[in-house]
Amino acid sequence: MIVSCKAPFSREESLGSLNQFIRVWFEKKYVNPTPPQLYSFKLVKEGKSILITAPTGSGKTFSAFMSILSDLMNMSLEGKLEEKIYCIYVSPLRALNNDVFKNLTEPLEDIYSGISIDIKKITVGIRTGDTKPSERQRQLAHPPNILVTTPESLAIILNSPKFAENMKNVKYVVIDELHELANNKRGVHLSLSIERLVDLVGKELIRVGMGATLHPLDEAARFLVGYRDGKERDCHVVDATWEKKLDFEVICPVKDIINARDEKIENSIYKIINDIIKKNKTTLVFTNTRSGTERVVYNLSKRFGYDEQAIAAHHGSLSRETRLEVEEMLKKGKLKCAVSSTSLELGLDIGSIDNVVQLGSPKSVARAVQRIGRSGHRFNDVARGEVIVTNRDDLVECAVMLDSAIKRHLDSFSTPANAMDVLAQHIVGMSLEKKWKVEDALELVRRAYAYRNLSVHDFDLLIKYLSGLYVGLESRRVYGKIWYDENERAFGKRGKFARLIYYLNLGTIPDEVSIDVLTKDSKWIGSIEEEFLARLKPGDIFVLGGKPYRFEYARIMKCYVSDAAGEIPTIPPWFSEQLPLTYELAINIGKFRSLLSTAMGHSINKNQEVIKKIVKGTLTPDAECRKVLDAMPMDQNSKTSVFNYFAEQLLFAGYVPTDKLVLIETTEDDNDGKNIVVFHSLYGRRVNDALSRIFAIVLAEMYDVDIGININDNGFALFTDENTKIGKNDVSKAIGMLKGIDVENLLKTNIRRTEMMRRRFRYCAARSFMVLRNYKGRKISVRKQQVNSALLLKSVEELGEDFPVLKETYREIFEDVMDLPRAKEIIEGLISGNLSYRIIETKLPSPFSHGVITFGEADVIMMKDRRKHIRELHKRVLSKIGVSKNEIKQKRRNIRRPSGN
Amino acid sequence: MKLSKNVEILDGLPVIRIRSLSAIVCTDLHLGYEGVMADNGTFLPKVNLKKIKDTLKIAEEITGAKRIIVDGDIKNEFSKVHVEEFNEFREFVEYLKGDLGVKEITLIKGNHDNFIDRLKEPLKITVHRQETLIDDFLFFHGEEAPMSKGGELLIMGHVHPAISVPNGIGKFEKLKCFLYGDLKDGRKLLVLPAMNYFADGVSVNFEDISKMAPVFRKLADADKMRAFCIGEGETLDFGVIGDLRNL
Repeated sequence: MIVSCKAPFSREESLGSLNQFIRVWFEKKYVNPTPPQLYSFKLVKEGKSILITAPTGSGKTFSAFMSILSDLMNMSLEGKLEEKIYCIYVSPLRALNNDVFKNLTEPLEDIYSGISIDIKKITVGIRTGDTKPSERQRQLAHPPNILVTTPESLAIILNSPKFAENMKNVKYVVIDELHELANNKRGVHLSLSIERLVDLVGKELIRVGMGATLHPLDEAARFLVGYRDGKERDCHVVDATWEKKLDFEVICPVKDIINARDEKIENSIYKIINDIIKKNKTTLVFTNTRSGTERVVYNLSKRFGYDEQAIAAHHGSLSRETRLEVEEMLKKGKLKCAVSSTSLELGLDIGSIDNVVQLGSPKSVARAVQRIGRSGHRFNDVARGEVIVTNRDDLVECAVMLDSAIKRHLDSFSTPANAMDVLAQHIVGMSLEKKWKVEDALELVRRAYAYRNLSVHDFDLLIKYLSGLYVGLESRRVYGKIWYDENERAFGKRGKFARLIYYLNLGTIPDEVSIDVLTKDSKWIGSIEEEFLARLKPGDIFVLGGKPYRFEYARIMKCYVSDAAGEIPTIPPWFSEQLPLTYELAINIGKFRSLLSTAMGHSINKNQEVIKKIVKGTLTPDAECRKVLDAMPMDQNSKTSVFNYFAEQLLFAGYVPTDKLVLIETTEDDNDGKNIVVFHSLYGRRVNDALSRIFAIVLAEMYDVDIGININDNGFALFTDENTKIGKNDVSKAIGMLKGIDVENLLKTNIRRTEMMRRRFRYCAARSFMVLRNYKGRKISVRKQQVNSALLLKSVEELGEDFPVLKETYREIFEDVMDLPRAKEIIEGLISGNLSYRIIETKLPSPFSHGVITFGEADVIMMKDRRKHIRELHKRVLSKIGVSKNEIKQKRRNIRRPSGN
Repeated sequence: MKLSKNVEILDGLPVIRIRSLSAIVCTDLHLGYEGVMADNGTFLPKVNLKKIKDTLKIAEEITGAKRIIVDGDIKNEFSKVHVEEFNEFREFVEYLKGDLGVKEITLIKGNHDNFIDRLKEPLKITVHRQETLIDDFLFFHGEEAPMSKGGELLIMGHVHPAISVPNGIGKFEKLKCFLYGDLKDGRKLLVLPAMNYFADGVSVNFEDISKMAPVFRKLADADKMRAFCIGEGETLDFGVIGDLRNL
């Protein structure tokens, strides 16, 4: 059962549950327990599993560890503490592991210095990918009592027969930063490791989960503790998220962000950041990308003369030494400012931060709270932060986000269910341990939250795949990764390479097939994804690392460019893996749009005076509009810009799309003559990912053309070539045609040839050990690994849809990448009339559509008929090189002549 | 699509027919590809041989040809004979002789075909070490320029030709193609596309193929070659490469 804890224990009850030496030390050092500790000390002492959500600085680490240290201390006093592992701590971040290691060893030294009797000391060890072989050997001979590790390292030591022997007495498992794990495959991977650990130990573990806030908390608790015999295990939930006070505001860098020039916006952004830096002792700036981080550091240094001792970048691409140095400088309070993408968002100890600046939208309420919560290190401090927006769509998004944070409306998470690729890794791992009955293995797997509903059928298919039953007998030796006996229904180890495959390829974070970008004299500039290269033709200009380059030519895994400084990019930037806006937040933004546009309805009309004012940007909000705007946590510039943005849209298009009104706009791009249909469907990218493809499929079939799509959080755009204009009537016809259609099936049969499908398939193939990074102990060069993704996918389709890797790809797309259930709701709403839609025709894209036309994830839905498709390409090429239509027909007639016999 | 009275591209297939020889010709099969890839840690489903068999079955049904000429790279690995290559090679020969009733199999050795000689006796196939003149046709694989001045039509493989074509909405697609044109000395040259399922081809309109195929350095001009692309059940003339460089 999941129990939500409402009443804390008293100070005395909490401290009284601790060992005497530990208590004395704690009271001397901290005096009073923090709110989460008033729950956790006693609960953990009683052997309860517990989930704690609390902000930074709330003593989370000791919430978990005090009672564990106390237990180990008691054992030591009774002479029962042996050289065995009793507690395993797992966090997703190596740097955090180093912190926790230090935060355990230093207090322990402190505690022992106060004890005069000679007792066996509690030991702490750390085990990550960085741990030296000599240290690993030492841990094997002298296992630490508390082992600090990562999900990947845990999976490895579980399969090390000697090390596993040392883990048979584990009593506690502590999982930190649970919010970074519960919503992805990495966390799913960990949850299976923990069930395997329970199996190894032979009895239940006391589990302690910690993290920033998660919604819904009950599900997070179930993720932590899992199931046993079909029933959820018990867990106590302590929610101390909102104990820390937040103070924040959205800042718009210029008075009118719609009409201001980029340069002016940029100048103003840096000036604002600099003012904040100057006012505070230490400022932390978050950007959304690594390249953004570099750009901010570069600009602040160049513009205001900061040196490396004053300002520094911190992100995952930097070396470990550099990152440690920056963390050290922060802790000592030496840095004025640190700039980070995500790496400083987690619970790393970085000393005292006075102020957090977030540049651009962080895309989720939880993340906004987490990031701003990094300031004001002590629990009673107020966390102070500013969100500086960089474009007009961010403006409303960020304001509503902070408003939701104030109202404590959180976005929800979900855990990938029954992921076949992650399971494949563990089945290989389990096969190395011993011979398993299929039924027993399935029962173990079902104890993990993410697999509680796994079907026998799916499990059997996976076993079949892993044992190589998909290839002929003579190749099974090479293809099979486990041994399997169909009659006995048992599996086990196969061959000498299985263990190496497992050790060297496990993990869930996909390797990007990245193409190096070089200048012609072979100077490395950066890298791009394979799919992006497929979009480029010689002469195209694209942006990399903030600078424009001209694509010249490509060689295997390399792309050569020349400098194109000052030129305008011809290819939109590549946004394959940006974080999507959550659905809940999107709906709240839609509601705000509705509120403000209704309030504005009265003052916006096509009166010449009003139009003049809107064009000049001098129209001012009336009392009703001011009321709506003033209720939001944003500065005056933001309010003015939001108001002008809405006014322009209303004047231009007559409608502002809201949560209840989908605006559909047929328009064209005057640059290249492409025809565009923009759907202003503000439901977040996961919903739009599904919606856009569904509409593209229907319209592609209707017109028999290829349709390009661009997707972002606010909507999507469908592009057709210069000769195909999709009419208003056909759009509403398309909506009607969706009535009663099985959209999942529609998508399934049509996304085979999309880029998203190829990319996701490649990830799943790698995780399922179908494409290895490292084989027989040698690293596979990307060039050798590289089979054209499209062909790889096509060849796998020959095996049928039940092939687990393919099945998982579809599952990942429909459940993790897209939000199909909600997309279905939207479609049903449009058909039934619960949701309104308006279709308008514009000569130029309306203000609200600029974002989705230029920015977003791009893909193509191809017409179904392959023969027609190739003919279409043929026609296109011939007309481009100047062959007349008649000549084309003539040519085709010649070609079609039967070959004769 | 007829190139001459005697020579014809089979519609929609990467195969030609030469009537006077009663033969069909194809190239770059790279048998054993999946086995070699599996050795490198990529476990592809085995489809290459199956697709090649399907294609040649159709070609045989259309033409009734009882002779097959493979213009090089029948197998994949340079430096050794992989066990999967040997198995597939044998299966391939047995299929041609048994199921399709092919009487004569002729192989022109390519750069991947080392050690193939030792198989010619047990499998009863004809192997030509390098370029070979059969009647008016000079077959050579293509990694080296042809030495012989003989023949009216030169037939090669090796390049895996394809062209990259824009689809009008921001992307390029590759289509496998034949290249056909004149040599500077007046003879004709035909480059066959690869039969291998996993080879999507080299974009001859974006890349400089003279580096990989010396015949395009002195003897022929790649820009003047015509691209005949393989469509679905048909072959489409896309014009000369020189015109396709700036699509």
